[in-house]
Amino acid sequence: MKRLRGLFLLTLLVVILPLLFPDNYYVTVVAVSAALHAILAVGLNLLMGYAGLISLGHAAFFGIGAYTSGIVTTRFGLDPWSAMAAGMLLTGTIAFVMARPILRLKGHYLAMATLGLGIIVQIVLVQTEELTGGPDGLGGIPPLSLFGWEVDSDLRWYMLMSAVMLLVVWLALNIIDSRSGRALRALHGSEVAAEMMGIDTTVTKTGVFVVAALSASLAGSLFAHQQAFISPDSFNFFFSIELVTMVVLGGMASTFGAVFGAFVLTFLPELLVIFEDYEVMIFGAILMLMMIFLPQGLFVGLRDLLRRLLQQQRAPAPAPVVPAGEDKHDAA
Amino acid sequence: MTLLEVQGLTKSFGGVTAIADLGFDVPEGQVYSVIGPNGAGKTTLFNMLSGIYHPDEGSIHFQGREIIGLQPHKMAAMGLSRTFQNLQMFFNMSVLDNVMVGCHLRTGSGLFSAALRLPGVVREEREARRLAREALSFCDLERFVDQRADALPYGVLKRLEIARALAVGPKLLLMDEPAAGLNDTETAEMQRLIRCICERGITVLLVEHNMGLVMRVSDRILVLDYGTRLAEGTPLEIQNDRRVIEAYLGGEVQYAV
Ligand SMILES: Nc1ncnc2c1ncn2[C@@H]1O[C@H](COP(=O)(O)OP(=O)(O)OP(=O)(O)O)[C@@H](O)[C@H]1O
Ligand SMILES: [Mg+2]
Repeated sequence: MKRLRGLFLLTLLVVILPLLFPDNYYVTVVAVSAALHAILAVGLNLLMGYAGLISLGHAAFFGIGAYTSGIVTTRFGLDPWSAMAAGMLLTGTIAFVMARPILRLKGHYLAMATLGLGIIVQIVLVQTEELTGGPDGLGGIPPLSLFGWEVDSDLRWYMLMSAVMLLVVWLALNIIDSRSGRALRALHGSEVAAEMMGIDTTVTKTGVFVVAALSASLAGSLFAHQQAFISPDSFNFFFSIELVTMVVLGGMASTFGAVFGAFVLTFLPELLVIFEDYEVMIFGAILMLMMIFLPQGLFVGLRDLLRRLLQQQRAPAPAPVVPAGEDKHDAA
Repeated sequence: MTLLEVQGLTKSFGGVTAIADLGFDVPEGQVYSVIGPNGAGKTTLFNMLSGIYHPDEGSIHFQGREIIGLQPHKMAAMGLSRTFQNLQMFFNMSVLDNVMVGCHLRTGSGLFSAALRLPGVVREEREARRLAREALSFCDLERFVDQRADALPYGVLKRLEIARALAVGPKLLLMDEPAAGLNDTETAEMQRLIRCICERGITVLLVEHNMGLVMRVSDRILVLDYGTRLAEGTPLEIQNDRRVIEAYLGGEVQYAV
C-alpha cells in the first residue's frame, strides 16, 4: 500500500484539522477554497506536469462547469447533481472537440491557443447576458444536498470539498500509475519515441485534455453551488495563470505538489496583507523565480532534499544488495 | 521468406534528395545492415520505414502489406520497432517505466478503468512489469531497474533503448547506430546482443558506422551512397566489391572479420 501512503497522510490531515479547530476561519473557509483550487491544480497537472502540454486557459473549463450548473438550476429548475453532470458533459464535449486542432500545436503556439480559448469563453460569458446575467453575474444558485443532508454550513462545505479533493487525488494517482499514465509521461519525454512504442499520441493527448477539463468542470459546479453567486471575473485569464502558478510552485509532474501549490497560494494571500494590492504581480514574481531557481518546484525540491538528508544519515550502513525501492512497484 | 520489401523509394527535402529510387529486400530472421557515409540517407530511410516520414514515391511492404501512410504507432502494432540515432529516452521516467511503455500494446486498459483502478488494471500492471523485467534482463540491465533514466551512463542508455524496443514484441527491429559512442568492451557486448536478438527470431535492420561490427554481425549488407543503392550482398561480397572500395571504404581499409 506504499503507493497510496501520501493519500492516507492527506486524508488524516483533512480529518484532524476540523476536529482540532472546528470554528477556525482558516479551516472552514480558506481551506475550502484551497481544496477547490487543489482539484483544479491536480487536473491541470495531469495535462501540464505529466503530459507536458501547457494550458493558459484552464479557467475556461472551470467557468463552463460553474455557469452550466448556475444556469441549469436557476433557469430550468434542474437539481444540482444533474446540473453537475450536464456541466461535465458539456465541458467534456467542448474539450474533446477542441483537443484535436489545439493539441496539434506545440510550445508557444499551444500556449497562445489555450490563452485564446480562455479569452473567448470569458467574452461569451460576459456577452450572452440573457443566459449568464453578463458582467453582473448570476445569483440564486441553490445549495447542494446529499440524501437530504444540506450542504449549507462552512463546515459541511469543508467536508464535501475535501472529500471531492481526496477523490480527485486518488483518481489522478491511479491514472499516473497505469498504462495511460506512462503514456502521458512518455509523450512528455519524447513524442516520437512514444509513437514508436505504439502509443497513439493524438488519442492520448485528447484523453488527458478531456480529463483535465472534466475535473475543472466538477470544481466549477461545486464552486457555483458553494458561492450561490458567480460572475465572469472568477474565470478570467488571471485565474488561469494562478492555476499554472500553483502547479509550477508545487512541482510539475507531482500530484501532491499540485495540492501543496494550491494550498500555499490560497493561504498566502489570506495571511499576507500585501497580497491584496499586488496579487497579480506577486503571482508573476513567484512564477519567474520558480522557473529560474527551482524549476522542479518547491514541494518536489523539498521532498528530494529531505530524502537526500535521510539517505546521508543512513549512509554508514552497507549498501543493500537488492536495489532500493524494489518492493515499490509490487504494491497494488 | 522476405519480411520487408522496398521498391522505388524516393524522398527529398527541398532540393536535397536524401533517398532516390531505392529498392531492397530484407529476408526474415537475418541481420541486415545498411551502411554508407554521413548523409547517405540511412536515418531518412529508417524514418520512412517506421512511418515518421512520408516517402515521395515508392512502396514498402512489411509482411506482404503496404505500410506507407500508416502512423508510427500503427507500425509498432504491426511488429516494427526501432531505436534512435540520437537517444530518444523518456528521461522523466525510471528505467522500468521506460521499458513498461514498450509494453503499451501488449496491455489494453484505458484511461477510465485506470482512474478507478479496476482489478483488471492491477493484473495488467503486474503482467507489464514482468514483460519489462524480462526485456531488461535480456539486455543485462536488471541492476538499473529502479534508477531514473537521466542518471545513467550513455552506454547503458543505448542498451535501454533496445530493451524498450524489444518490449514492444517486434518482428523487425530497426537499430540506428547502436554502437556509436561505445567503447570496445561495450561494442563487443552490443555485437553479442544483436546476435542474441536475431537468434530470438527477430529480424534486425542495422545502421552502423563501425565496419568491424557490421562485417561480423551481418548476414547481408546494403551500401548506400547519396541515397541510392551502391551494392548489396554478403559481408564478403561487399568487402571485395570494387565500387564500394572506391566510393566509400577506401582502398586500404582492412577488416578484422
Ligand atoms: N528533416 C530533414 N530536413 C531536411 N533535410 C534532411 C532532413 N533529414 C535528413 N535530411 C538530409 O537528408 C540527407 C540524409 O540524411 P540522413 O540523416 O538520412 O543521413 P544518414 O545516412 O543517417 O547520416 P549519418 O550517418 O550522419 O547519420 C542529408 O543531406 C540530410 O541533411
Ligand atoms: Mg543517421
